[in-house]
Amino acid sequence: MIIPKEEIMKSNHLACPGCGAALAMRLALKALGKKTIVVIPACCWTIINGTWGNNFAGVPVFHTAFATTAAVAAGIKATLEMQGKDDITVMGWAGDGGTFDIGLQALSGAAERNDDIIYVCYDNEAYMNTGIQRSSATPIGAETTTTPSPIVKDRPKKDLMEIVAAHDVPYIASATVAYPTDLIKKFQKAKSKKGFKFIHILSPCPPGHKFPEDKTIEISKLAVETGVFLLYEIEDGKYRINKKPKFKDLDEYLDIQGRFRNTPKEQREALKEAIKRRWEKLLVKAEHFG
Amino acid sequence: MKRLVLGGNDAVAYAVKQSHVDVVSAYPITPQTSIIEKIASFIANGEMRTRFIKVESEHSAMAAAIGASATGGRVFTATSSQGLLYMHEVLHWAAGASLPIVMANANRAVAPPWSIWAEQTDSLSQRDTGWIQFYASNSQETYDLLFLSFRLAERVKNPVMVCMDGFLVTHTKEPVAVFGDEIEEFISVKETRPLLDVEKPEAIGALAFPQDYMPVKIEQHKRISSALAEFKTLSDQFERISSRRYDPIYTYGEENADIVIVAMGSNAETAHLAIDLLNKEGIKAKLVKIVMFRPFPKDELIKAFEGAKKIAVFDRNISMGKGGITKDEIVGALGINNVVGIVCGLGGVDVTENDMVKVAKDVLDGKIQEDMILWGGR
Ligand SMILES: Cc1ncc(C[n+]2csc(CCOP(=O)(O)OP(=O)(O)O)c2C)c(N)n1
Ligand code: SF4
Ligand SMILES: [Mg+2]
Repeated sequence: MIIPKEEIMKSNHLACPGCGAALAMRLALKALGKKTIVVIPACCWTIINGTWGNNFAGVPVFHTAFATTAAVAAGIKATLEMQGKDDITVMGWAGDGGTFDIGLQALSGAAERNDDIIYVCYDNEAYMNTGIQRSSATPIGAETTTTPSPIVKDRPKKDLMEIVAAHDVPYIASATVAYPTDLIKKFQKAKSKKGFKFIHILSPCPPGHKFPEDKTIEISKLAVETGVFLLYEIEDGKYRINKKPKFKDLDEYLDIQGRFRNTPKEQREALKEAIKRRWEKLLVKAEHFG
Repeated sequence: MKRLVLGGNDAVAYAVKQSHVDVVSAYPITPQTSIIEKIASFIANGEMRTRFIKVESEHSAMAAAIGASATGGRVFTATSSQGLLYMHEVLHWAAGASLPIVMANANRAVAPPWSIWAEQTDSLSQRDTGWIQFYASNSQETYDLLFLSFRLAERVKNPVMVCMDGFLVTHTKEPVAVFGDEIEEFISVKETRPLLDVEKPEAIGALAFPQDYMPVKIEQHKRISSALAEFKTLSDQFERISSRRYDPIYTYGEENADIVIVAMGSNAETAHLAIDLLNKEGIKAKLVKIVMFRPFPKDELIKAFEGAKKIAVFDRNISMGKGGITKDEIVGALGINNVVGIVCGLGGVDVTENDMVKVAKDVLDGKIQEDMILWGGR
């Protein structure tokens, strides 16, 4: 597969160097094309897209209230349908806070109604825009400003893919920027399908996860190889695992990120256990509903 | 034109049906529910060609309305009380983004304790969200104001809320003159515009530093303020079709009254009877009904109060620790000191014409000089 050459997103955006979320949008728009309308709630992307008068995404963007991404996108699509503009894709683009937490109700509503939108969660595993506070997507053992050591996050990351899957929607996928062709293919597939589509993108964040800015791809890859982040799709209810983890040593993934510097041993073990359990569950689903 | 017997809610649904609305997004709450049920049945029957997004909450109802409106659709929603309060954040968003959404609000008291009955504290506590607000007193007014609201919202690029006292206006059945095709020339004019256009990719609502933020807000203030004049222009057109006239305020009774009763919503209907009784007793009295509460009709009120000795403002609402909200608005805008505020009818308590007559006389005689709460007990 050849990655589309055309750059829709502008390169002078305001993300930090090495931002996974910025790269994810760049790839997503390559897949979706210019006839795309994007809805962005409060999150890092509020800043990345530029201040008043700017629009670095290069497609129409509606900045909206934190909890409203899916509902606003559904409203946009409804008017487009009434106008007969069926060739325009509507994409909600929210962080983990705007998706796992405050926007979950609106997300569930749109998924249950099967509104014809693509909902993307770029997941940097904390509230980065407000300065690295924990979210329900923060993994066990991670340090944030609201889970400072020694009281690091002590609950597992919410399994959002499976929450969305419970809504019986046509397409759900996970992706990372380390596998760009896989990511682009998933957006192209999402664009081609009618109804509610959900794409979960792991988005390493150098200042938030505390790693050097040139390690974003490496960390994204390690997340998949260690089994921390599973790459799979659920298409019309059918599970497909895109990349079987190599189950590399988890410590390799944890040790290059400062947010795990103070993770106690038992939490590292809990993380390993959670990875194993999630993989086993996914295997069963892929076997029975593949 | 034909006559149908309709409650305020039915009248709203009929007006929405005739207004070529592209998208409705709404969530049920008493006493608003029959509006959206009727709209759903119109769509199911094929009488209306509209996308109805059955959202999971009022926050999403307004959010979906915002998305639909920003794409250039004509959009309607309806709510009440707790639902309106739940929308609060997104009400600001709709107005700030200059979106011509029209919403009907069934005025209902705010919990706790739970109440489903009439009170205007819900919508008046949304005073500063930047919405144009109308208060209808009967079914005909709700019907007519809906058409005017769609046109006004689109003309001035600002959302409009049409408020009706729960049950007293939403459910009281009255004959309503319903348009046939004659409303088409008025309502088929759509001045909606898509802010989101793939041919002209802009970002709406991006982060603005202080020097960018303030001019935007000044512009917004000008936009909503222009609604007073634009409403008159549209009213002229509407009057030619309907022979019914709407202005920011409405007056009834003696032109040169000694005592003025100010009321809004259902209280204004009752006040007509009170004015008749007062006039019969030889007391020169008139009603001033506030139809448009935002933007505030200051100049119209100054004129209407000319020569009045005393003004009694009946508020079916309360700002805790202060008193009646419209009374406060009047004093604040006009700087006059012959006004007494009467908080009454909270949570749906009846306010009768006899209550109004007695209070009006006492205010005129100077027996009541301080703001008061009208409460006779059980
Ligand atoms: C209703 C509301 N509550 C809180 C905030 C403050 N706020 C803005 S962005 C943000 C966190 C966003 O986190 P996430 O969605 O994960 O995106 P990220 O910043 O990590 O990209 C918060 C809490 C807000 N804007 N609105
Ligand atoms: S804080 Fe993280 S997510 Fe936000 S812009 Fe910077 S790198 Fe990207
Ligand atoms: Mg985040």
